[in-house]
Amino acid sequence: MSELVLQHGCAKGGEPYVPQVCRVIDVRDQTHDVKTIRVQTPEGGLPFERKPGQLAMVSLPPYGECMFAIASQGPDYLEFVIKRVGFVTERLHELRPGDEVGVRGPYGNWFPFDSARGRNLVFVAGGIGMPPVRSFIEYALEHRADYGRIDIVYSASTYDDLVYKDDLFQNWPKEPDTHVHVSVYHATDGDGWSGKVGYTAPYLKEVFAEEGLATDNAAAVLCGGPSLYRTCREALLELGFDPADVVTTLEARMKCGVGKCGRCNVGGVFICLDGPVFTEAELARIPR
Amino acid sequence: MIISKDNMGALADAIGATQTVYVPGTERAATRFVAHKKGEPVVLGGANVRMPPKDLLFPATEKMYRWKKHEGQLSLETEAAAHEPFTVLGVRPCDMASVAKLDLVFLTKGFVDEFYQARRDAATFVAVTCVDPDGDCFCEAMGVRLDAAPAADVLLVDRGGAYEAKPQTEKGEAAVAAWAEALGAGADAAAGDAVEAHCTLNPAAAKAEERLRAEDFDNVWHSVADYCLTCGTCTFECPTCYCFDISQDVRADEGARFRCWDSCMFTQYTLMAGNHNPRADRASRVRQRFMHKLRYFADRYGEGLCVGCGRCIRDCPAGVDIAAIIDAVATAPEHELTEAARTVQADEAKKEAAHV
Ligand SMILES: Cc1cc2nc3c(=O)[nH]c(=O)nc-3n(C[C@H](O)[C@H](O)[C@H](O)COP(=O)(O)OP(=O)(O)OC[C@H]3O[C@@H](n4cnc5c(N)ncnc54)[C@H](O)[C@@H]3O)c2cc1C
Ligand code: SF4
Ligand code: SF4
Ligand code: FES
Repeated sequence: MSELVLQHGCAKGGEPYVPQVCRVIDVRDQTHDVKTIRVQTPEGGLPFERKPGQLAMVSLPPYGECMFAIASQGPDYLEFVIKRVGFVTERLHELRPGDEVGVRGPYGNWFPFDSARGRNLVFVAGGIGMPPVRSFIEYALEHRADYGRIDIVYSASTYDDLVYKDDLFQNWPKEPDTHVHVSVYHATDGDGWSGKVGYTAPYLKEVFAEEGLATDNAAAVLCGGPSLYRTCREALLELGFDPADVVTTLEARMKCGVGKCGRCNVGGVFICLDGPVFTEAELARIPR
Repeated sequence: MIISKDNMGALADAIGATQTVYVPGTERAATRFVAHKKGEPVVLGGANVRMPPKDLLFPATEKMYRWKKHEGQLSLETEAAAHEPFTVLGVRPCDMASVAKLDLVFLTKGFVDEFYQARRDAATFVAVTCVDPDGDCFCEAMGVRLDAAPAADVLLVDRGGAYEAKPQTEKGEAAVAAWAEALGAGADAAAGDAVEAHCTLNPAAAKAEERLRAEDFDNVWHSVADYCLTCGTCTFECPTCYCFDISQDVRADEGARFRCWDSCMFTQYTLMAGNHNPRADRASRVRQRFMHKLRYFADRYGEGLCVGCGRCIRDCPAGVDIAAIIDAVATAPEHELTEAARTVQADEAKKEAAHV
């Protein structure tokens, strides 16, 4: 098994600050506060090529701009999964097909989809941590023969908060040797959920035990909020993953996206340019 | 070429005939680089200007693009454009060193900042050797020499009553040739020996950087946080601090998006949705400022981010003194290793073991 190799500071040379105009072509509700939004150029083309894990800044004058993981790239569109949490995302949720927004990117590095070939993949995500992870899942399924067994462990607060339900419950389980494990933290009668109720980290350990999963020849990909990240990172290491085989994508407040404005600085790195994807082995060497 | 100090006004007049020339002066109640007015005297010695020259390359607020919305259609127009040539006359070695650091930030590592580049390309920097370090200056400790400014296009060497003009770049060669023509006999003054000066303040910066790379100085950051007001003065007037915010004016159907200086000392700087803030407490922000200056920047660009100009010491309302902090770190009794440093050491040990 060869080492996972991440590139850092690999996005370069593009227009740094001024977005290109893009048209919204599709808006879909995912949950009560999450929407999927697809954009393309006014001419009907793909705004730019991205690699799985890369980011883009979506800007909505006069309100502002926000950084998002590019959840998916179609032949002629980019797809974002946007949770309504504040000022700008509130306005982004009001978008209708035909509206125009600014998009700039792609920024940041990408998942080690090359060096992970041949491995089993364990994806661990919580809530709105799914979009970045999804970009890698999508790539792995498109190149299914290149990877071993795929396990997706995903949780959200309630059944309603699970994003990409179609993929979770219909599409992905049909893919060869692909196993989807979903839990929610809180269930109530009649909410439509009859599956596992519990937090992600203990559930992840349960899944490993029940399915007899091993950590050798596997890579784990982790993305979620601060507490999910902390607990699942610990769980993965306890399960026996080497920190060099655990890949995670970080979040920090961002403004420029190109390693200039200083905002996303942690130690000697800028998350927007050098990240957002790091291995746990790399993160352990960065002072925080 | 030797120019008498009395002739500096004439030199500024000559350069000013074809382009704006900025000289040390007073404007809006602070000493700073101001646009030279024909006939006014120009004095390059004495105390350094309070506001550094960074706003000439990286203005405190700068428009990036304009946008218009018409029936749902959005159009964007960049404000990036070539800049009129200008000269900055009388930049001290510390401030010139800061320009070289801003170059690293804005012009390297993947993306080129087109706004900065336009101004940088248009600028001719004329530095002057420093003969007046004051008690808060410690540039020598930060690798700057008072008698050199490698990033400048022209260096004026103080030789008593006159300056010797030494071109250091192609732009500088052209500038000096043009001055010689404009000044005629005025470019041939008598010269004494180069005046030598040194800083009296000399914090142990190299030692501090080395220790910050390994040990945990949380007690230092907490004690500074006890009296720092996180007002941001230190970062705004620092010649090397470059953090910026991007914002916009909020009119309904047309407007501009601009950037403006920001400060890592402010709570909102890292505040995210859901009130999550990785640097919510003051100590963590104080730590960020000093770690960025004294260590992180070196990790990334191979040199530190403080040029020892002393501005933040002079103007901090709370008496926070970076030179004293450098010495406190350098001379403190041994601290615990940081977790990151322990990981690095363990990794190295593993590698060693694998080699044996
Ligand atoms: C690398 C990265 C990937 C992301 N991917 C996604 C995604 O796929 N889907 C999604 O829904 N959200 C994602 N986010 C979070 C998203 O950027 C924020 O939720 C959004 O900026 C909040 O803006 P707001 O104006 O609605 O919130 P407010 O709370 O009103 O925020 C005001 C400003 O704060 C900043 N800000 C607030 N929260 C965040 C945050 N969590 N991260 C960074 N900046 C923040 C922004 O500059 C914002 O304009 C990502 C963030 C980063 C950094
Ligand atoms: S000027 Fe002084 S008080 Fe203000 S933020 Fe800087 S160190 Fe703190
Ligand atoms: S940190 Fe202080 S002494 Fe150092 S360059 Fe900035 S203002 Fe000058
Ligand atoms: S967002 Fe500006 S440096 Fe990362």
